[in-house]
Amino acid sequence: MKNVFVLAEHRNQQLRDATWEAVAAARKIAADLGIEYTGILLADKVDAMAQQLAAECPKVLAVEDNAFASFNSEPITQALTTLLKDRGPFILVMTNSNAVIDVAPGLSVYLDAALATDCFGYEVRDGKFLALRQMYSYKVNALVSFKNAQNIVVTLRGGAFSFSPGAQGPGAVEKIPSPLAEGRFKKRFLGFVEAEKGDVDISAADIIVSVGRGIGDEPDMSMFESLAEAMGGVLACSRPIVDKNLLPKYHQVGTSGVEVKPKVYLALGISGAFQHLGGIKGSPLIVAVNKDPKAPIFRVAQYGVVGDLNEIVPALEEKLQEAKK
Amino acid sequence: MNIIVCIKWTPDTSEADLVIESSGKDIKKDSLDYDINDWDRFAIEEAVQIKEREGGTVTVVSVAPEESEEMLRESLARGADEAFQIWDDAMEGSDGYAVASTLAQFIKERPFDLILTGTLADDDGGGQVGGMLAAMLGIPSSALVSKIEVKNGTVKFNRELEGGLSESMEMDLPALLAVATGLNEPRFVSIRAVRKVASIEIPRLGAQDIGIDQASIGAAGARTVIENISLPPEGEGAEIIKGSPDEVAARLVEILKEKGGIA
Repeated sequence: MKNVFVLAEHRNQQLRDATWEAVAAARKIAADLGIEYTGILLADKVDAMAQQLAAECPKVLAVEDNAFASFNSEPITQALTTLLKDRGPFILVMTNSNAVIDVAPGLSVYLDAALATDCFGYEVRDGKFLALRQMYSYKVNALVSFKNAQNIVVTLRGGAFSFSPGAQGPGAVEKIPSPLAEGRFKKRFLGFVEAEKGDVDISAADIIVSVGRGIGDEPDMSMFESLAEAMGGVLACSRPIVDKNLLPKYHQVGTSGVEVKPKVYLALGISGAFQHLGGIKGSPLIVAVNKDPKAPIFRVAQYGVVGDLNEIVPALEEKLQEAKK
Repeated sequence: MNIIVCIKWTPDTSEADLVIESSGKDIKKDSLDYDINDWDRFAIEEAVQIKEREGGTVTVVSVAPEESEEMLRESLARGADEAFQIWDDAMEGSDGYAVASTLAQFIKERPFDLILTGTLADDDGGGQVGGMLAAMLGIPSSALVSKIEVKNGTVKFNRELEGGLSESMEMDLPALLAVATGLNEPRFVSIRAVRKVASIEIPRLGAQDIGIDQASIGAAGARTVIENISLPPEGEGAEIIKGSPDEVAARLVEILKEKGGIA
């Protein structure tokens, strides 16, 4: 490996927070391999963001083009391909954000790179880079090695690497003329669509009763609503519940749904997928009820019950009502 | 509008007790239930709905072993016109790249307007095949798609960003869209619907049939290798409360009271 590159992500002309986690990872990987790391910024206006990035990278490659404004994966992929194709062998580090999910797989094909997505760590063995990721409903960790390709692309799970500012002073910014040809792209950004607002705002709730796939295919939702009410909290859910139209989208906790920061989170039939847990901030008390004792939720909950929701939920509501008397 | 849907045969591990096999490189899968990857079911439904509005055909394809035929049969019952099973023993050990290479080889000689697939597979969670396949075919792609509208040689769609925000986009056809779960309601498949498609032949194609060389498929063609797998360390984990539902409930009320979990 000659280089580690890290792609900065931006929206509305601001670097996104996850960029710093990717910088932290690139810095650590480069140090372990004894090589340099370089930040890459592709934006419509690079100056301010390039300075920010250079404060934390020994070198920054910056390309300015209006086509990058919305982080449209087509111009981003084309430009990265041109920029990096003669700079291998390299490891390119990116966040595993929803924007980058459109970039990484195609880019890896164009760049002759092996790809590992959603990585939460890595190992270096005999000078070789291996990635750590999860499989099988987040129940298993896998150590992945790479072959048949000159380069490596990895995308990082949010929260897996923590950033602290480095002290090496501002790096050099090299501005590179845009390699993009004039003309229309096959893929075009039209605009943002804001989330639908509902009659409850779970992001402001202190007490959340949250239901997931484990409540079954034909659940009695009134049982959970009534428990949430008895606790003085709100009812929320994980993605499968919204997919089945059991609750509207604004009840969904998770990275693609709503971020919540309650004091108490009662997780009923929630397995604890990373995307769901990513939406729970501020370290609440998590109490989980699930029939699978190996559910990942039990690794993050302080208290757990392994059992049948149809027995435990009514019993819990009854005891709550008694306690209120 | 001719649509190709790529689907995957995956083990259900959500509530299973997983055991690592002796090689240390995979889990034991013989006691697991297999089914179509949940995300891909939404892709089939979307394809069939587009066909019902716009006309055309829906072709379903999977790189999957023999026993996956029931999934392809079910796809026909859901409204697909034809289904292909691509498998060769040498395809064992495929990663996202090897599967994409195999699908690209199968698809490149076929006329199509749109390819649909699920964004992720529930087993490896890689989210790679769609974007790689599109790049190999030289067409634009997008993932996490939550709404699709086909119009005059283009496709307009929404894709999910974080925190409930979406972006509205447009692509020229032919294109590939990897869908998010929940973009439609997959239809109920009746026994009658399955019976109706019982006589449709599902061709089984090997590496030679599609003209791909052995070095490009399976473990040989893969760019990633699983060196070992492990169960995550238990850590501190939750304190498990045991007892009858009433006893458990009483203890939970104590805990909730103490921590402000009752308003």
